[in-house]
Amino acid sequence: MIGWSGRRKAFTVLLFIGPTLLGILLINVFPILLSTYVSFTNRNKFHPNPDCTITLTSVLDPVCWPVFRTTAPRGLAEPYSLQAPLFQNYIDLVGQLFTAEAVQALILILICFLPLLVAAYLNRYFDRRITRPVSSGVLWLVGLGAGLVLAFALNASTAYQQLMSTGDFFVVVWRTILFVAIRVPLSFGLGLTLALILNSNYLPGRTFFRLILFLPWATSSLAILMALVWQFFFRERGVINQVLQILGFDGYAWLNDPATAFAAIVITDVWFSYPFFMVVILGALQSVPNDVYEAADVEGASWWTQLTRITLPLIRPAILPATVLTSITAFQMFGTAWAITQGGPVRGAGQPGATEFVIVYAFKQIYQSQNYGRASAFAVILFIFLFAATLYSLRYTRITKGAYE
Amino acid sequence: MNRQPSKRVMVVQYIILLFAALFAFYPVWFAILASGRLGDRLYTLNLGGMFLPTEWTWENYRIMLFEKPLLDWIRNSLYVAIVTSIASLLISTSAAFAVSRFRFYGREVMLIFLLAIQTFPGVLALVAVAQILTALGLYKTHEGLILAYTIGTLVFATWNMKGYFDTIPIDLEEAAMIDGCGPVQSFVRIALPLALPALAVTALLGFMAGWGDFIFASVLVPAPDTMKLAVPGLFSLANDQSVPWGYFAAGGMVIVLPTLFVFLALQRFLVGGLTAGGVK
Repeated sequence: MIGWSGRRKAFTVLLFIGPTLLGILLINVFPILLSTYVSFTNRNKFHPNPDCTITLTSVLDPVCWPVFRTTAPRGLAEPYSLQAPLFQNYIDLVGQLFTAEAVQALILILICFLPLLVAAYLNRYFDRRITRPVSSGVLWLVGLGAGLVLAFALNASTAYQQLMSTGDFFVVVWRTILFVAIRVPLSFGLGLTLALILNSNYLPGRTFFRLILFLPWATSSLAILMALVWQFFFRERGVINQVLQILGFDGYAWLNDPATAFAAIVITDVWFSYPFFMVVILGALQSVPNDVYEAADVEGASWWTQLTRITLPLIRPAILPATVLTSITAFQMFGTAWAITQGGPVRGAGQPGATEFVIVYAFKQIYQSQNYGRASAFAVILFIFLFAATLYSLRYTRITKGAYE
Repeated sequence: MNRQPSKRVMVVQYIILLFAALFAFYPVWFAILASGRLGDRLYTLNLGGMFLPTEWTWENYRIMLFEKPLLDWIRNSLYVAIVTSIASLLISTSAAFAVSRFRFYGREVMLIFLLAIQTFPGVLALVAVAQILTALGLYKTHEGLILAYTIGTLVFATWNMKGYFDTIPIDLEEAAMIDGCGPVQSFVRIALPLALPALAVTALLGFMAGWGDFIFASVLVPAPDTMKLAVPGLFSLANDQSVPWGYFAAGGMVIVLPTLFVFLALQRFLVGGLTAGGVK
């Protein structure tokens, strides 16, 4: 902004952002530091308590703080200590991903995605020019085709099997990425469609529909109850099968088949999450001035052109954060999956179930095997992974840039 | 896009809305039906009962409203949710304004840092948060809960408000500054009124965070009964032997009502034209 600089500016800025920073440091940053420390220790149900004579432990673990001196649990068990090879928990989790075969398989699979990357790059390049030699649809199709051809040529399915056999970590993370990639666009699309319709001033019953369509978010306080209601729909004698029976079809055990159980969780989670997008987009749409559309109408632009060239670019800064953050929350989805399948259907002893997403897996690690060290290591790996993904998406979409840059 | 749509477009729009409304409403309707059913079952295997109130009774509602401390819990929840909403609005809006309008050292780093810490799984932070609140003497108080919720909503609220401020033309504030406004004044007088739609969304978000949470509320305020919040209070009615689904559903419907009122009150601000014609 215009005008001033120096100490006065620094003071004003600090006044504006200080409370946020302080709060975040207290409630968000400290737990991360603590968990990172615990991830290097053997803290589990046999070694639950801290050894307060170690300096780092006494600073980081709240149980060692003066406030807790009298009330801290003093079990008979051994205190936890740092692991002998410091990275033992990490090695247990992802060690097998770093064998020569696994790395080779990973690279093979990544190569298959290369044509899509090239297509994306070319698209951005053409976007900046006045004329386009090929339309973006054709470009994406060619990219997809080339990717599939590469996948066949390089025998990607064997590489995929190879990666899947490297332990729980890759299986669980890959499944969660798939979930995010399906669930977020679905909720976004549904939310955007509904927001565009409900934004009209010439729609009788607008408030009524806004309220009804907001309901799933309103019931998020009853998430457990509603998730169980959804579970009943998919049960063997649930609503879907009974209706199918009347129509003359056979029922199906939706929750016992890995694919349909996955779909059931996606549908339920879309139900929970689309109103959030709807409300955020509805809010963002209010800043779009009307005269732009009038101009577009005069020029004869179709509604699709108006949507992709006017509406979406104009509300982009307001809805991108919602999309990025929803992707992160979707990655950490827990309640829906836990209520509906509890991670099942079971695929075999000692293996994660067919719908065991990352947090479900971590939850089972903590509360069933009480292996805090391992679970913290898992959280730290996820943190690094999501951090990188977020950083990339920020750079790609350039949303940290302010309004007029 | 506020122009009168043609008849054909309107028909398509209503068809989409009707399908979406059915998708949105049926599970809730199912829960409403369950709230009028006696016994410990959430479900009925009788097909008619899945769609129509075949065995409706108000008994569950009567017990929840007059024999259980549901109204106490709702009062606690209202207090927590409203204060969270206001606090989150105050703190995040000012931070968002600074980030959107000022250029200062470390601005982008701060934005990325805010998003990045959000990627840490919350379940794992819970125990540490409880210990910090104990150290501050806020464990088992509503104020501690408000603190945790407010900070929990800060990241999204800040980003959302920043995004919205970015879409508001800066020219209006520059005009105000030429006329002698300071930064604080131009924030309060110019930017805030223009950002009403986003403020409504942020307030709703804060309210929902305080109202709907189960895990934090049950860990941070575990007892006594009169201090509990609505959702954990409701679920504390269950014990090892039985889960009273009829009570849950009836209490749940009562708990959902305030959120609907808040939404109705706030959605009035989701109207366009605030910045229209401001810059010519």
